[in-house]
Amino acid sequence: MSNNRVSRRQFLGYTLTGVGGFMAAGMLMPMVRFAVDPVLQQKDAGDYVLTGQAVSEITEEPVRVDFSYEQVDGWYTSDVTNSAWVYRDGDKLIALSPVCKHLGCTVNWGGDAEHPTQFFCPCHAGRYEKNGANIAGTPPIGPLDEFDVEDQDGFVAIGAVKENTLV
Amino acid sequence: MHFTSKDIDQYVGQKEYVDTAVIPLIELDLSANGMKASANASEYMQSLTAILEKQFKGRILLFPPVSYARESDRTKLAVDLQAELRKTSFQHVFYLTADAQWRALDDLPNVLWLPAIPTGDMDQTFKKSVMEDQLRQVLPLFMKEWTHHS
Repeated sequence: MSNNRVSRRQFLGYTLTGVGGFMAAGMLMPMVRFAVDPVLQQKDAGDYVLTGQAVSEITEEPVRVDFSYEQVDGWYTSDVTNSAWVYRDGDKLIALSPVCKHLGCTVNWGGDAEHPTQFFCPCHAGRYEKNGANIAGTPPIGPLDEFDVEDQDGFVAIGAVKENTLV
Repeated sequence: MHFTSKDIDQYVGQKEYVDTAVIPLIELDLSANGMKASANASEYMQSLTAILEKQFKGRILLFPPVSYARESDRTKLAVDLQAELRKTSFQHVFYLTADAQWRALDDLPNVLWLPAIPTGDMDQTFKKSVMEDQLRQVLPLFMKEWTHHS
Protein backbone atom coordinates (compact mmCIF):
# COMPACT_ATOMS: atom_id res chain seq x y z
CA MET A 1 0.00 0.00 0.00
CA SER A 2 2.68 2.38 1.04
CA ASN A 3 4.64 1.49 -2.12
CA ASN A 4 1.84 2.81 -4.30
CA ARG A 5 1.28 5.90 -2.33
CA VAL A 6 0.94 8.88 -4.58
CA SER A 7 2.75 11.90 -3.28
CA ARG A 8 1.28 15.36 -3.49
CA ARG A 9 3.94 16.26 -6.08
CA GLN A 10 3.10 13.24 -8.24
CA PHE A 11 -0.64 13.83 -7.92
CA LEU A 12 -0.29 17.41 -9.09
CA GLY A 13 1.98 16.28 -11.91
CA TYR A 14 -0.50 13.69 -13.19
CA THR A 15 -3.41 16.09 -12.88
CA LEU A 16 -1.67 18.88 -14.79
CA THR A 17 -0.48 16.53 -17.54
CA GLY A 18 -3.99 15.14 -17.90
CA VAL A 19 -5.71 18.50 -18.04
CA GLY A 20 -3.02 19.94 -20.32
CA GLY A 21 -3.37 16.95 -22.60
CA PHE A 22 -7.11 17.46 -22.91
CA MET A 23 -6.62 21.14 -23.68
CA ALA A 24 -3.99 20.40 -26.32
CA ALA A 25 -6.23 17.77 -27.88
CA GLY A 26 -9.14 20.20 -27.80
CA MET A 27 -7.13 22.70 -29.78
CA LEU A 28 -5.48 20.28 -32.20
CA MET A 29 -8.51 18.21 -33.14
CA PRO A 30 -10.36 20.94 -35.03
CA MET A 31 -7.13 21.93 -36.77
CA VAL A 32 -6.51 18.39 -37.92
CA ARG A 33 -10.14 18.14 -38.98
CA PHE A 34 -9.84 21.29 -41.07
CA ALA A 35 -6.61 20.12 -42.61
CA VAL A 36 -7.96 16.77 -43.79
CA ASP A 37 -11.44 18.06 -44.64
CA PRO A 38 -10.93 18.26 -48.41
CA VAL A 39 -10.02 14.57 -48.40
CA LEU A 40 -13.14 13.61 -46.46
CA GLN A 41 -15.41 15.74 -48.66
CA GLN A 42 -17.71 13.44 -50.56
CA LYS A 43 -18.19 13.87 -54.26
CA ASP A 44 -21.93 13.57 -54.48
CA ALA A 45 -24.12 12.99 -57.48
CA GLY A 46 -25.14 16.66 -57.39
CA ASP A 47 -22.60 17.35 -60.12
CA TYR A 48 -24.96 15.59 -62.48
CA VAL A 49 -28.05 17.33 -63.76
CA LEU A 50 -31.05 15.06 -64.13
CA THR A 51 -33.00 15.45 -67.36
CA GLY A 52 -36.49 14.36 -68.33
CA GLN A 53 -35.20 12.00 -70.99
CA ALA A 54 -35.79 8.30 -70.33
CA VAL A 55 -32.75 6.13 -71.01
CA SER A 56 -34.95 3.43 -72.55
CA GLU A 57 -35.93 5.80 -75.35
CA ILE A 58 -32.37 6.54 -76.36
CA THR A 59 -31.39 4.80 -79.59
CA GLU A 60 -28.36 4.91 -81.81
CA GLU A 61 -29.80 8.03 -83.41
CA PRO A 62 -28.65 11.13 -81.46
CA VAL A 63 -31.49 13.06 -79.82
CA ARG A 64 -31.37 16.48 -78.26
CA VAL A 65 -31.70 16.43 -74.48
CA ASP A 66 -32.25 19.72 -72.68
CA PHE A 67 -31.15 20.35 -69.15
CA SER A 68 -30.98 23.47 -67.02
CA TYR A 69 -28.82 24.54 -64.13
CA GLU A 70 -28.20 27.68 -62.14
CA GLN A 71 -25.46 30.00 -63.23
CA VAL A 72 -24.05 32.87 -61.20
CA ASP A 73 -22.63 35.78 -63.15
CA GLY A 74 -21.40 38.40 -60.72
CA TRP A 75 -24.48 39.13 -58.63
CA TYR A 76 -26.86 37.94 -61.30
CA THR A 77 -28.14 34.39 -60.90
CA SER A 78 -29.97 32.84 -63.80
CA ASP A 79 -31.29 29.50 -64.93
CA VAL A 80 -29.35 28.42 -67.94
CA THR A 81 -30.81 25.90 -70.33
CA ASN A 82 -28.31 23.82 -72.17
CA SER A 83 -28.61 20.80 -74.36
CA ALA A 84 -26.68 17.71 -75.34
CA TRP A 85 -26.86 15.22 -78.18
CA VAL A 86 -27.33 11.83 -76.58
CA TYR A 87 -27.15 8.45 -78.28
CA ARG A 88 -26.45 4.84 -77.46
CA ASP A 89 -23.25 3.11 -78.45
CA GLY A 90 -23.60 -0.57 -77.59
CA ASP A 91 -24.74 -0.45 -73.96
CA LYS A 92 -22.96 2.84 -73.31
CA LEU A 93 -24.56 6.27 -73.38
CA ILE A 94 -22.75 9.02 -75.23
CA ALA A 95 -23.55 12.71 -74.73
CA LEU A 96 -21.95 15.29 -77.00
CA SER A 97 -21.90 19.04 -76.52
CA PRO A 98 -23.80 20.93 -79.22
CA VAL A 99 -21.29 23.78 -79.20
CA CYS A 100 -19.36 24.04 -82.47
CA LYS A 101 -15.62 24.16 -81.93
CA HIS A 102 -15.23 26.82 -84.55
CA LEU A 103 -16.92 29.87 -83.06
CA GLY A 104 -19.48 28.42 -80.70
CA CYS A 105 -22.67 28.10 -82.72
CA THR A 106 -25.13 25.29 -81.96
CA VAL A 107 -24.83 22.22 -84.14
CA ASN A 108 -27.72 20.01 -85.24
CA TRP A 109 -27.85 16.33 -86.04
CA GLY A 110 -28.67 15.87 -89.72
CA GLY A 111 -29.01 19.63 -90.15
CA ASP A 112 -27.69 19.38 -93.66
CA ALA A 113 -29.87 17.44 -96.11
CA GLU A 114 -26.81 16.16 -98.00
CA HIS A 115 -25.22 14.68 -94.88
CA PRO A 116 -28.05 13.22 -92.77
CA THR A 117 -25.73 11.21 -90.53
CA GLN A 118 -23.49 14.05 -89.44
CA PHE A 119 -23.69 16.98 -87.08
CA PHE A 120 -24.02 20.22 -89.00
CA CYS A 121 -23.23 23.77 -87.94
CA PRO A 122 -25.40 26.23 -89.89
CA CYS A 123 -23.06 29.19 -89.41
CA HIS A 124 -20.17 28.21 -91.60
CA ALA A 125 -21.15 24.72 -92.73
CA GLY A 126 -18.94 22.90 -90.24
CA ARG A 127 -19.58 19.16 -90.05
CA TYR A 128 -18.84 16.43 -87.50
CA GLU A 129 -19.08 12.66 -87.53
CA LYS A 130 -21.50 10.97 -85.14
CA ASN A 131 -18.72 10.49 -82.58
CA GLY A 132 -17.97 14.20 -82.74
CA ALA A 133 -14.89 14.05 -84.96
CA ASN A 134 -14.60 17.17 -87.09
CA ILE A 135 -14.54 16.56 -90.81
CA ALA A 136 -11.46 17.82 -92.55
CA GLY A 137 -12.05 20.64 -94.98
CA THR A 138 -14.78 22.25 -92.85
CA PRO A 139 -13.98 25.18 -90.54
CA PRO A 140 -14.00 23.45 -87.10
CA ILE A 141 -10.56 22.82 -85.66
CA GLY A 142 -11.37 20.05 -83.18
CA PRO A 143 -13.94 17.42 -82.24
CA LEU A 144 -17.11 18.23 -80.31
CA ASP A 145 -16.76 18.16 -76.53
CA GLU A 146 -18.29 15.33 -74.57
CA PHE A 147 -20.38 15.34 -71.40
CA ASP A 148 -20.10 12.87 -68.56
CA VAL A 149 -23.37 11.02 -68.66
CA GLU A 150 -25.02 8.41 -66.47
CA ASP A 151 -28.25 6.55 -65.98
CA GLN A 152 -30.03 7.70 -62.81
CA ASP A 153 -33.10 5.57 -62.12
CA GLY A 154 -33.88 5.22 -65.78
CA PHE A 155 -33.30 8.86 -66.70
CA VAL A 156 -30.36 10.48 -68.40
CA ALA A 157 -28.18 12.63 -66.12
CA ILE A 158 -25.64 14.98 -67.65
CA GLY A 159 -22.40 15.78 -65.87
CA ALA A 160 -19.33 17.87 -66.50
CA VAL A 161 -18.07 18.70 -69.96
CA LYS A 162 -14.77 17.16 -70.99
CA GLU A 163 -12.68 16.76 -74.09
CA ASN A 164 -13.86 14.21 -76.59
CA THR A 165 -12.60 10.75 -75.64
CA LEU A 166 -14.08 8.89 -78.61
CA VAL A 167 -11.96 10.29 -81.40
CA MET B 1 -21.71 36.98 -80.04
CA HIS B 2 -22.85 39.59 -77.61
CA PHE B 3 -21.81 43.20 -77.55
CA THR B 4 -19.44 42.68 -74.63
CA SER B 5 -15.76 43.48 -74.44
CA LYS B 6 -14.80 39.81 -74.32
CA ASP B 7 -16.84 38.87 -77.38
CA ILE B 8 -15.69 41.95 -79.25
CA ASP B 9 -12.07 40.90 -78.75
CA GLN B 10 -12.96 37.62 -80.43
CA TYR B 11 -14.99 39.39 -83.10
CA VAL B 12 -12.05 41.58 -84.09
CA GLY B 13 -9.99 38.47 -84.74
CA GLN B 14 -12.72 36.63 -86.64
CA LYS B 15 -14.30 39.40 -88.69
CA GLU B 16 -14.55 37.39 -91.88
CA TYR B 17 -16.68 34.77 -90.12
CA VAL B 18 -18.89 37.07 -88.07
CA ASP B 19 -20.50 38.88 -90.95
CA THR B 20 -24.00 39.53 -89.63
CA ALA B 21 -25.25 42.18 -87.25
CA VAL B 22 -28.56 41.80 -85.41
CA ILE B 23 -30.13 44.89 -83.88
CA PRO B 24 -33.35 44.62 -81.89
CA LEU B 25 -35.51 47.75 -82.17
CA ILE B 26 -37.74 48.34 -79.17
CA GLU B 27 -40.40 50.99 -78.82
CA LEU B 28 -40.90 52.48 -75.38
CA ASP B 29 -44.51 53.30 -74.67
CA LEU B 30 -44.69 54.52 -71.10
CA SER B 31 -48.36 55.60 -71.04
CA ALA B 32 -50.47 53.90 -68.40
CA ASN B 33 -52.22 51.74 -70.98
CA GLY B 34 -49.27 50.94 -73.17
CA MET B 35 -46.60 50.17 -70.62
CA LYS B 36 -47.40 46.53 -70.08
CA ALA B 37 -47.60 45.74 -73.79
CA SER B 38 -44.40 47.64 -74.39
CA ALA B 39 -42.61 45.75 -71.62
CA ASN B 40 -43.88 42.48 -73.00
CA ALA B 41 -42.68 43.32 -76.50
CA SER B 42 -39.28 44.15 -75.07
CA GLU B 43 -39.12 40.91 -73.07
CA TYR B 44 -40.16 38.88 -76.08
CA MET B 45 -37.65 40.54 -78.35
CA GLN B 46 -34.81 40.01 -75.90
CA SER B 47 -35.64 36.32 -75.37
CA LEU B 48 -35.88 35.77 -79.09
CA THR B 49 -32.60 37.47 -79.91
CA ALA B 50 -30.91 35.64 -77.05
CA ILE B 51 -31.79 32.21 -78.44
CA LEU B 52 -30.96 33.40 -81.92
CA GLU B 53 -27.53 34.40 -80.65
CA LYS B 54 -27.13 31.02 -79.02
CA GLN B 55 -27.86 29.24 -82.28
CA PHE B 56 -25.64 31.44 -84.45
CA LYS B 57 -23.05 32.59 -81.95
CA GLY B 58 -20.21 32.29 -84.42
CA ARG B 59 -21.84 34.23 -87.22
CA ILE B 60 -23.88 37.03 -85.72
CA LEU B 61 -23.09 39.88 -83.40
CA LEU B 62 -26.13 40.73 -81.32
CA PHE B 63 -26.29 44.39 -80.40
CA PRO B 64 -28.01 45.68 -77.31
CA PRO B 65 -31.60 46.69 -78.07
CA VAL B 66 -32.04 50.13 -79.56
CA SER B 67 -34.88 51.71 -77.62
CA TYR B 68 -36.71 54.84 -78.65
CA ALA B 69 -39.73 56.79 -77.51
CA ARG B 70 -43.11 56.21 -79.09
CA GLU B 71 -43.01 59.55 -80.86
CA SER B 72 -39.42 59.25 -82.05
CA ASP B 73 -38.68 59.91 -85.68
CA ARG B 74 -37.98 56.43 -86.97
CA THR B 75 -36.69 57.63 -90.30
CA LYS B 76 -33.97 59.63 -88.59
CA LEU B 77 -33.16 56.71 -86.33
CA ALA B 78 -32.81 54.47 -89.38
CA VAL B 79 -30.48 56.92 -91.10
CA ASP B 80 -28.30 57.29 -88.00
CA LEU B 81 -28.07 53.55 -87.42
CA GLN B 82 -27.13 52.87 -91.00
CA ALA B 83 -24.51 55.57 -90.98
CA GLU B 84 -22.97 53.99 -87.89
CA LEU B 85 -23.05 50.52 -89.41
CA ARG B 86 -21.27 51.69 -92.53
CA LYS B 87 -18.16 52.00 -90.38
CA THR B 88 -18.19 48.23 -89.85
CA SER B 89 -17.53 45.35 -92.20
CA PHE B 90 -20.83 43.51 -91.71
CA GLN B 91 -22.17 41.94 -94.89
CA HIS B 92 -25.67 41.48 -93.52
CA VAL B 93 -27.62 43.55 -91.03
CA PHE B 94 -30.92 42.41 -89.54
CA TYR B 95 -33.27 44.53 -87.50
CA LEU B 96 -35.73 42.65 -85.34
CA THR B 97 -38.74 44.47 -84.01
CA ALA B 98 -42.24 44.04 -82.66
CA ASP B 99 -43.07 47.66 -83.47
CA ALA B 100 -45.55 47.66 -86.36
CA GLN B 101 -44.62 51.15 -87.50
CA TRP B 102 -41.46 49.85 -89.15
CA ARG B 103 -43.55 47.86 -91.60
CA ALA B 104 -44.74 51.04 -93.23
CA LEU B 105 -41.25 52.45 -93.59
CA ASP B 106 -38.76 51.52 -96.26
CA ASP B 107 -35.80 53.22 -94.62
CA LEU B 108 -34.16 50.06 -93.38
CA PRO B 109 -33.48 46.90 -95.33
CA ASN B 110 -34.04 43.55 -93.61
CA VAL B 111 -36.43 44.63 -90.90
CA LEU B 112 -38.02 41.48 -89.52
CA TRP B 113 -41.27 42.35 -87.88
CA LEU B 114 -42.68 39.80 -85.45
CA PRO B 115 -45.84 40.17 -83.42
CA ALA B 116 -44.93 39.97 -79.74
CA ILE B 117 -46.27 36.95 -77.91
CA PRO B 118 -47.12 37.49 -74.24
CA THR B 119 -44.57 35.11 -72.75
CA GLY B 120 -44.41 36.71 -69.31
CA ASP B 121 -47.02 34.49 -67.67
CA MET B 122 -45.93 31.22 -69.24
CA ASP B 123 -44.03 28.63 -67.29
CA GLN B 124 -40.43 28.08 -68.28
CA THR B 125 -40.80 24.89 -70.34
CA PHE B 126 -43.77 26.20 -72.29
CA LYS B 127 -42.08 29.53 -72.89
CA LYS B 128 -39.03 27.72 -74.17
CA SER B 129 -40.98 25.68 -76.69
CA VAL B 130 -42.87 28.79 -77.84
CA MET B 131 -39.63 30.71 -78.32
CA GLU B 132 -38.12 27.82 -80.23
CA ASP B 133 -41.10 27.82 -82.56
CA GLN B 134 -40.54 31.51 -83.06
CA LEU B 135 -36.89 30.88 -83.78
CA ARG B 136 -37.86 28.38 -86.42
CA GLN B 137 -39.86 31.12 -88.16
CA VAL B 138 -36.85 33.40 -88.26
CA LEU B 139 -34.10 30.92 -89.15
CA PRO B 140 -35.08 30.46 -92.81
CA LEU B 141 -34.93 34.23 -93.32
CA PHE B 142 -31.34 34.24 -92.10
CA MET B 143 -30.38 31.19 -94.10
CA LYS B 144 -31.94 32.71 -97.21
CA GLU B 145 -30.06 35.97 -96.80
CA TRP B 146 -26.80 34.11 -96.27
CA THR B 147 -27.10 31.79 -99.24
CA HIS B 148 -28.41 34.59 -101.41
CA HIS B 149 -25.40 36.82 -100.96
CA SER B 150 -22.53 34.45 -100.45
